[in-house]
Amino acid sequence: MQEKIIEKCANCPAHNLNHLIRLGIDMTDYDYVIALAGNPNTGKSTVFNNLTGLKQHTGNWPGKTVSRAEGGFIYANKRFKVVDLPGTYSLLSTSTDEEIARDFILFGQPDVTVIVVDSTRLERNLNLVLQVLEITDRAVLCLNLIDEAERHQIQIDDKLLSKKLGIPVIPAAAREKKGMKELLQSIFEVATGQYICKPYRISNDFKELTFAVDELEAQIKKCFPNLNNARWIAFRLLEGDQKIIDAVRSGEIGKIKLQEEILE
Amino acid sequence: MEKELKQRELLLEVANKLRWKIGENVHDLILESIYKHAEEIASAVTKRKVGVQKFDFDSFIDRIVTNKWTGFPIMFLLLAIVFWLTIVGANYPSSALSFLLVDTIHPLLRKVAEYFYFPWWLKGILIDGAYLSMAWVISVMLPPMAIFFPLFTFLEDFGYLPRVAFNMDAIYKKVGAHGKQALTMSMGFGCNAAGVIAARIIDSPRERLIAIITNNFSLCNGRWPTQILISTIFIGSLVPSYLAGLISAGVVVGVAILGVLFSLIVSWFLSRTLLKGEPSAFSLELPPYRPPKILQILYTSLIDRTLLVLWRAVVFAFPAGAVIWLVANVNINNLSIAEHFIRWINPSAVFIGLNGVIILAYIIAIPANEIVIPTILMLTVLTTKLTGFGAGAGVMFELENISDIEYLLKAGGWTTLTGINLMLFSLLHNPCSTTIFTIYKETKSFKWTAIATFLPIVLGILVCFLVTRLWYILF
Amino acid sequence: MSTIIIILSLLIVFIFFLYKNKAFYLMKKNVKEKEKIEDSLKYLYDCEYNQRPCTIKSLSKKLSISFIETTQLINKLVELGLVTEKSDELFLTAEGRQNALQIIRIHRLLEKYFAENTSIVESRWHKLAEIKEHQLNVEEANQIASNLGNPLIDPHGDPIPSVDGTILLENTIKLTELNEGLTAEIIHIEDEPEEIFSLINSLKLYPGMQLKVKSIDKENVLIEIEGRIISLKKDVADNINVKEIKNEILIKNFNRTLSSLKAGESAIVVGLSKALRGQQRRRLLDLGIVPGTKIKAVLESIGKDPVAYEVRGTLIALRKNQSDYIFIQ
Repeated sequence: MQEKIIEKCANCPAHNLNHLIRLGIDMTDYDYVIALAGNPNTGKSTVFNNLTGLKQHTGNWPGKTVSRAEGGFIYANKRFKVVDLPGTYSLLSTSTDEEIARDFILFGQPDVTVIVVDSTRLERNLNLVLQVLEITDRAVLCLNLIDEAERHQIQIDDKLLSKKLGIPVIPAAAREKKGMKELLQSIFEVATGQYICKPYRISNDFKELTFAVDELEAQIKKCFPNLNNARWIAFRLLEGDQKIIDAVRSGEIGKIKLQEEILE
Repeated sequence: MEKELKQRELLLEVANKLRWKIGENVHDLILESIYKHAEEIASAVTKRKVGVQKFDFDSFIDRIVTNKWTGFPIMFLLLAIVFWLTIVGANYPSSALSFLLVDTIHPLLRKVAEYFYFPWWLKGILIDGAYLSMAWVISVMLPPMAIFFPLFTFLEDFGYLPRVAFNMDAIYKKVGAHGKQALTMSMGFGCNAAGVIAARIIDSPRERLIAIITNNFSLCNGRWPTQILISTIFIGSLVPSYLAGLISAGVVVGVAILGVLFSLIVSWFLSRTLLKGEPSAFSLELPPYRPPKILQILYTSLIDRTLLVLWRAVVFAFPAGAVIWLVANVNINNLSIAEHFIRWINPSAVFIGLNGVIILAYIIAIPANEIVIPTILMLTVLTTKLTGFGAGAGVMFELENISDIEYLLKAGGWTTLTGINLMLFSLLHNPCSTTIFTIYKETKSFKWTAIATFLPIVLGILVCFLVTRLWYILF
Repeated sequence: MSTIIIILSLLIVFIFFLYKNKAFYLMKKNVKEKEKIEDSLKYLYDCEYNQRPCTIKSLSKKLSISFIETTQLINKLVELGLVTEKSDELFLTAEGRQNALQIIRIHRLLEKYFAENTSIVESRWHKLAEIKEHQLNVEEANQIASNLGNPLIDPHGDPIPSVDGTILLENTIKLTELNEGLTAEIIHIEDEPEEIFSLINSLKLYPGMQLKVKSIDKENVLIEIEGRIISLKKDVADNINVKEIKNEILIKNFNRTLSSLKAGESAIVVGLSKALRGQQRRRLLDLGIVPGTKIKAVLESIGKDPVAYEVRGTLIALRKNQSDYIFIQ
């Protein structure tokens, strides 16, 4: 399969390595799946458009992206499929948008989840980032609107942030097409396993919950010894999340982990 | 296998027992903790340059546009500029398009049809009916939308629109609706179908339905020309000529404001009857101001809004044009269907201060409000048997000269009362088929689509009736 | 000509309605019986729970049907193995209890659904649920439960039985049994009689709220709840069940509301009242309005409502009926 793609691309007009070819909605035979997550109004759609060459509606108004959009591109001779998830503040609530985003990251098993954040409102956006990192192991953070943050006299130490979160952090200004190259390179590195993420996981300081989470986590580990986000599963069970309950009952939760290991 | 299954069930049982022990505050506690971590990380990596505090552009604008004294005037001024640019700016491209599609291509097509010996009825249905109505819709509809939507999107991308919702929310709260309805309503001034789509920004279903149902009370681009024409003929002529322009323009604005009032009253009514309930979740994010990207605005507003709406209108206009031609040309007992219908409905129409021609025009011109006036003119010629106007039965036309229209309408028995009632009925009647279809697509419900369609008609008939009775009492 | 058309169309409409009504009538008869069976099971469970005796007489009064009809109904229930009769008193069998719990589950899930996902006013939840509970089957109820995240407690504070029919019973006392100066959490609010329930609703008292008894006398109970002082008649207070909070760390400091914050002032959020629920509550939490959050009133709109607050770097406008239930210090 890999040979086939290289063969195909040798005939492409631009087949040099590290060159981006936007594929628009052509997503056939992709090697990797990328999910784009982020709060509403962070320029997520602009990042999506920059990657795929598509023109999705964007606007300075929360909640613009109404349906899930998909597109594709070729980078370093690999075909990527990009799924633009609905903009959400969180993955915990029960709104349809959040469920779509959550289910795709958990069950759709994207190879990389790119989280687009608004640099001028990092703290608020980190809420979603931390929630995504609870679920997935492979993520890239895109510090979008970095130009605007500078305009507001805000400086962000992206190296430190990357160290703290355990994932690549790329400052970018998607509207000016700045930082897109670095973003692509990071996506590529995480997808191919050249960069191994050590995602930040929220530790055990849920005052009144700790005893329950500990007990449940032990039980989950007994059933699914390979699971590395057992604590998060425990929280979801305590919140009565039916999707997770069903996935535990059918054993699907355990399979998710297995697939990842085969890929690695 | 069996054992694993049992173990999993046991796990779920443990989870259930624990849930009862810790109660229902899990969600609150988890979010509290996540935000605590977010705050820690953010403060560790962010540095705010202290020292010379740069001028805070955002809060400066915010203070002006939400100020007690300047907030509303700025809002009305911006809206007025948008409308003025739309109406004035659309004139030239509209007449150019009309010259091309109606005056040039239409006769050409007729010639082509004659050359190929089309039977008269086929030529009528295809060229005088379907093509002409489509040409009409495009030439009257496209230019205003192509100007209005980019301007509106400009305000949206800049970040001004959420401030409008912020200013207006108090009024909408009183009638049980959402502040963002102010935006969908303004959008409706451009096009009701676009306004209905825009109601997606309202995230609580009850308030969103109210916004969808009442959007039709915004006088859309397609209805402004009707209002201006009728107001000039019937109201402008009542006052001295130097005041005519001002007064007739004022009356049109008055009708638009009446529409806003109706939308508020109907919202209030709906939130107390059919859509009863407490106002649900309200949170309005006021995003930072951003310099708009002109090219992107043009692209998105033209592709996403203008073309989408125009395409839907054209799809509906095509068959409707054929129907318009047919009703004027198919004769039963030596009288066209149109005339039969007009004769039959006329007594009831006159009872509410309209006439049979107007009612039929509104029924068959349902695809777009833009073709109402051409249809009325055509039908008037048909019923009055006047000669020298238009290009034959079932062919819509527009007249260059307003006094010709006045002559024609008065020959058709129109009075000042008819004119006033037509203006009211133009405000209060069913949405065009494009909007109805859009309402159905957005609500996925026949019930709400039917309510949104028939509620304005009922109101329109009621209002016209009352005005007529009052008129006869007074004069 | 026109008159003929009108008369014809009226005739068609008339016939249509006649036809529809007849079918409707036949359907209704079956539905009625199912409703009665379910209502009697619910009543029997209620008697059992409150340790009151249940007889054919009390049942016929509750369902407002004749004694003879009730006897026939009970015979049917006994035949179905749901009820046993012992010296005039009626008892649920194990199967009958399971059935009753299922109906109660559906009822309470519906109320929770109305509270969380619709904008139906509180006073109508119970009545609507009374009607709808007979129309849903178990799968539909499970679907609602999973959409709501398998809730444990209904909006009145009653525990929702689980699918297998287990129910948690908590020991509570009546508000009137609480001594002066003590703090307690509202656990349950009785939804019948309706007048008292809607009175309690209009006072915005909800399960999960903390209250302190200021004084208590023969007629009234004076309570302090979320910064408000409310005087309740004893018969009203009797409909509120509470649980004393003994651990002082758990007592929340809900005194000052966010709405009291003036433009330009800052504060720290201490918590959200239980009056904020459903989508509303989730949205506020997602926006980062959680205990410990710094919040600043920035802009007042022209009518002073809504007000825009700066929360974690974003400007968010909230209406007064929300900021009244967010507490700060």
